[in-house]
Amino acid sequence: MPRIRLHGAYRELAEGRRDLEVPAASVRGALAALTAAQPVLAERLRDEHGRLRDHLSLFVNGYDVRGLAGEETTMRDGDTLDLIPALSGGAP
Amino acid sequence: MSRSIALLVGTRKGLYVFRSDASRATWEASEPHAELAPIYHASFDPRDGVSMYVAANASWGGPRIEVSRDRGRTWKAVANPAFPAGGDRTFSRTWHIEPGHLKEPKVVWAGTEPAALFRSDDRGESWSLVRSLDDQSTRAQWVPGFGGMGLHSIAIDAADPRRMSVGVSVGGVYTTTDGAATWATDNEGIEYMFPDGPAGSVAHCIHKLLAHPLDAGLRFMKVHEHVYWREPSATSWTQVTAGLPDAFGFAAAIHPHDPATAFVIPLAGRQRLAPPPGIAVWRTRDRGRSWERRTTGLPPAPLEVLREGLATDRLDPLGLYFGTANGEVWASRDEGDSWTRVAQYLPYVLSVHAATIPD
Repeated sequence: MPRIRLHGAYRELAEGRRDLEVPAASVRGALAALTAAQPVLAERLRDEHGRLRDHLSLFVNGYDVRGLAGEETTMRDGDTLDLIPALSGGAP
Repeated sequence: MSRSIALLVGTRKGLYVFRSDASRATWEASEPHAELAPIYHASFDPRDGVSMYVAANASWGGPRIEVSRDRGRTWKAVANPAFPAGGDRTFSRTWHIEPGHLKEPKVVWAGTEPAALFRSDDRGESWSLVRSLDDQSTRAQWVPGFGGMGLHSIAIDAADPRRMSVGVSVGGVYTTTDGAATWATDNEGIEYMFPDGPAGSVAHCIHKLLAHPLDAGLRFMKVHEHVYWREPSATSWTQVTAGLPDAFGFAAAIHPHDPATAFVIPLAGRQRLAPPPGIAVWRTRDRGRSWERRTTGLPPAPLEVLREGLATDRLDPLGLYFGTANGEVWASRDEGDSWTRVAQYLPYVLSVHAATIPD
């Protein structure tokens, strides 16, 4: 199964879980499985209309999904999806 | 009955709680909570004596409302307010959380950005958009102020839970007398920032609107420019700015036991800092007819206090508290006459709420 790795505050919110394996064939499916297992993350990842939050970066096997097929990016056994918060600076 | 105070201090980097007994002589600080989130507001629910609510507006991970059922010792995130599907609005911040009327013990109200009013019927666990306000045709006139477009003031009548006013920046005052079934604009008497503003415009930049907790119908308000008083029988706002050093400012508070007394912290309109010779709390004892400058113990410094930055407790003599942009919290236990510093070196203080906690 694909594996999800949680980083930063997402890990804290998930009670310290660093990673988990999920039955999914795409990034979208992996995120759905993640929030089913960790409901506290649902509103941290998406707004009320289902859009991914700003400051959330998703990488499949080290590649930013924005350069792949976004949430439709295919995931296979052994693939890794990294959830990384806030790849940005603060105030000037 | 012995009571204590918990000062809920919201900063740009989390919530700090300072606790004291009724003497308010010494304060014990907590570790920060939600330190990655700007805390626009935190409030205590005096109806159950245990609940607290926090508006945690993290830029990443999205905003969230957190609730404590043990007076701030542990917290949990609750279901977010949500705008209707198909619209162009996304819940981005909570500006204010107000426990409802004593006669409605499970009702809690939240004002948000984009500006809207949400109601909870389960003590803050879940939220519903108040569509009657959202459907106002004048909502099309609402525009953001410098800090965004928020509904930040929720003023509930002391006697009648069906009577409530809300303040919007920039969108004026709306009042309901039928439990939020219908609303009416309530801006009569408020001076337009631009003298030739169109008739009927709601473009008033409300900064803080308060209802007296005991005297039904009495309201007090700080607008972008000017301070206003509203007697229960009046049909328009009375401007009471004369005597203050500057018409600008955000923070306002009303004395919970004495309906003739209120407080403001004026700022210089251009710099948005306390005008020379420095920070001062201005007090009226006569419903805004005159103002007195209270500064004993305060530094002669141009400090800044925001709209949620001034609060009172419910003790006698009254305790008064304010927080500053440079991370200080100041307290008075003699109704503003003299001041001592509770904390310094905090992050930028966005909000202060004084919870008067029963034993």
